[in-house]
Amino acid sequence: MNPGVIKAYILKEFKELVRSRLILIVYILPTMIIILFGYGIRMEVTDARTLIIDNDNSRISRDLSARFDHSKYFDTRVTSGMSEQKALKRIKQARVDILIIIPNGFEKRLLHGEKTEIGVFIDGAFPVRATTMQNYVKGVIYNAAQSLMRKKPENLITINSRNLFNQAMRDEDAIVPGLIGLILLVAPAILSALLIVKEKEEGTIFNFYSSPIKKSEFIVAKLVPPLILHSLNIFILFLWATWLFEVPFRGSFLLYWGAAQIYILISLGVGLLVSIITRTQIVAIVLTIIITIIPGFLYSGMLMPISSMSGESKIEAHIYPVMYFNHIIYDTFLIGQGLDSPKNQLYLAILVFYALFLILLGSWLMKKEIA
Amino acid sequence: MIGTFFALVAKELIGFFRSWGLVAIVLYSFTLDIYITGAGIEMQAKNIAVGYVDETGGGMSRKILSRLHMPEFQKPVMFTSQEALSQSIYNREIMVGLIFESDFEKSLKKYGRSSIDLLLDSIAATQSFQALQYLQNILLDYADIGIPVELKIHKLFNPNATTSQFMAMAEMLSVITLLGVILTAAVFVREKENGTWDIMLLMPIDPKLIILAKSFSQVLIIMGGVVIATGIVLFGIFDVPINGSISAFFLLSFFYAFTSAGIGLFVAAVSKSMLQVAQISILIMMPLIFLSGAWTPIHAMHPLLQELSLISPLRYYIEGSESIFFRGTDVADLWSYFAGVIILGSVLYFYGFRKIGRLF
Repeated sequence: MNPGVIKAYILKEFKELVRSRLILIVYILPTMIIILFGYGIRMEVTDARTLIIDNDNSRISRDLSARFDHSKYFDTRVTSGMSEQKALKRIKQARVDILIIIPNGFEKRLLHGEKTEIGVFIDGAFPVRATTMQNYVKGVIYNAAQSLMRKKPENLITINSRNLFNQAMRDEDAIVPGLIGLILLVAPAILSALLIVKEKEEGTIFNFYSSPIKKSEFIVAKLVPPLILHSLNIFILFLWATWLFEVPFRGSFLLYWGAAQIYILISLGVGLLVSIITRTQIVAIVLTIIITIIPGFLYSGMLMPISSMSGESKIEAHIYPVMYFNHIIYDTFLIGQGLDSPKNQLYLAILVFYALFLILLGSWLMKKEIA
Repeated sequence: MIGTFFALVAKELIGFFRSWGLVAIVLYSFTLDIYITGAGIEMQAKNIAVGYVDETGGGMSRKILSRLHMPEFQKPVMFTSQEALSQSIYNREIMVGLIFESDFEKSLKKYGRSSIDLLLDSIAATQSFQALQYLQNILLDYADIGIPVELKIHKLFNPNATTSQFMAMAEMLSVITLLGVILTAAVFVREKENGTWDIMLLMPIDPKLIILAKSFSQVLIIMGGVVIATGIVLFGIFDVPINGSISAFFLLSFFYAFTSAGIGLFVAAVSKSMLQVAQISILIMMPLIFLSGAWTPIHAMHPLLQELSLISPLRYYIEGSESIFFRGTDVADLWSYFAGVIILGSVLYFYGFRKIGRLF
């Protein structure tokens, strides 16, 4: 390899990146993704629009409504006498999330020790929210019922819960570290694929085919600019996560940085492979997005913990590099075991292996001739 | 006039079908991509990995553990010490750790109340929260305190709360947005890049007709994809219910496809190469998708974002489609969604139309 040639080629790549204003996208896109997703994904349910039809209007039923009213989880409106049909229509029009109907004679029956029932209707179009809302409603009503009971319960077991890693169960803590992993997988891959495929589409690749530059020099020259540019993003994203989203950082910064650099190499390897099989930039972009975003989401642990997976998806999760990096990144942000943990050491080694494997495979498959 | 229009549309369609890479990507996006998202993304807490340390010597604790079962929980794994359990949680192999202290059973028999220590990996906040709620309900059920109130809970529209149907639908709408913008922008910019644009300029055809025909051809491709995706993936594989009118959905999709084509026109007007098309479309579409309510209901967003979401046409499209598929809203009640899509769509399309028209 001739360092002079590589340097010249890298310089040319940088000039092109600046001239085509592609450099802006290198920094705008990751920041935009982390801000939009970070603010945009809210799994926690607050202010569920709740309509209580209180047909009883007694002390107990009013007490129950007040409990809903005082909870931050519900945005409550109480009426009486509205017909069930009309209220259900409101749910159909997506104006109400939860409908609770307290029947006539509710208090009387309760005081006489008879069974009575409360009807609850929940908009299930958004499934996770529906389950969460259902559990909230159950919680409020059971609690109210318990405080009304005169008889002491016999087998009451309470839970002393210690929430590890994410005490307040914040969505930001759960999602933002995973987003960093997603961005560092997608963005460098797109850039490296484009840098090569652009030359193919514009025909300037023939300069490479016909000039004495070696294949290895070409690959180094194509991969170094995205590597350098995106390395800065490791720090930018870190700042957004800790400063804007206030995600705690409990682990080793060195591990975070090192693992992220290796992960960028993996991403560049993916880009390299894409650039070999595609001829037009548009196909290269879409293909890169397809093969990185979906595994990047599925196996990140953001939406579903790896330990909850079973069967095929568990095997697939172990095949993609995403899971290994995300384990390390969640460890550095929230858990803080660092390199002392054998699992982190193993996963880091696996990442190094992936990076080498993908880049070597790409270099081997790339041909310095017209395909 | 009409003949020229259809000749142009046919030209674009033939061009599309000749580029096999593009055809493959469109087909992939409208089938496999939607399938993978629907089948893969599960946000409900299921199959949770549970570990426990039992210092009581069995009995009561066994009975409680036997209530943790599929589909919510995996079979609980026994650990001999709290250290081992907590190490496993730190390595994220176990999500919920239960500790039965040695006086657990005694205290329950003596005083009628007792407590369990719970270690919870709460990184995946939603799922941890649901896991906690499951456990609480199991213990409440176990206590059998005889609450005289019966709760009749109906989850409307999607009684089993299956995520796959919702995710598949949301993904299809995102695919429509993505391809609608990129394909439309691509047909113009490719001509710019290949230099055939100049030939277009020389042709004795009204440029308006060219723009209309080119964008209409891409709308047709998208609609083809929508039919395939709804028929095969949504109805065929995921059994998505259709409680409303399917023709209303296709009509809404048709208007929406024009809206995204309008954005595509704008993107095509301001970009010189496919590379720029990709960049600009991503910059425009990401906020569009995130302001749409696909991931978070609008009313749970930051107030400023709520206002902003009013100008996202995808918002009306998603809410409208949700209402048609799941809620089964009457056609008459859908007018606001149609109005939103059509008004924003005409503005965007007209703006893109003018913008690209200037290049002629």
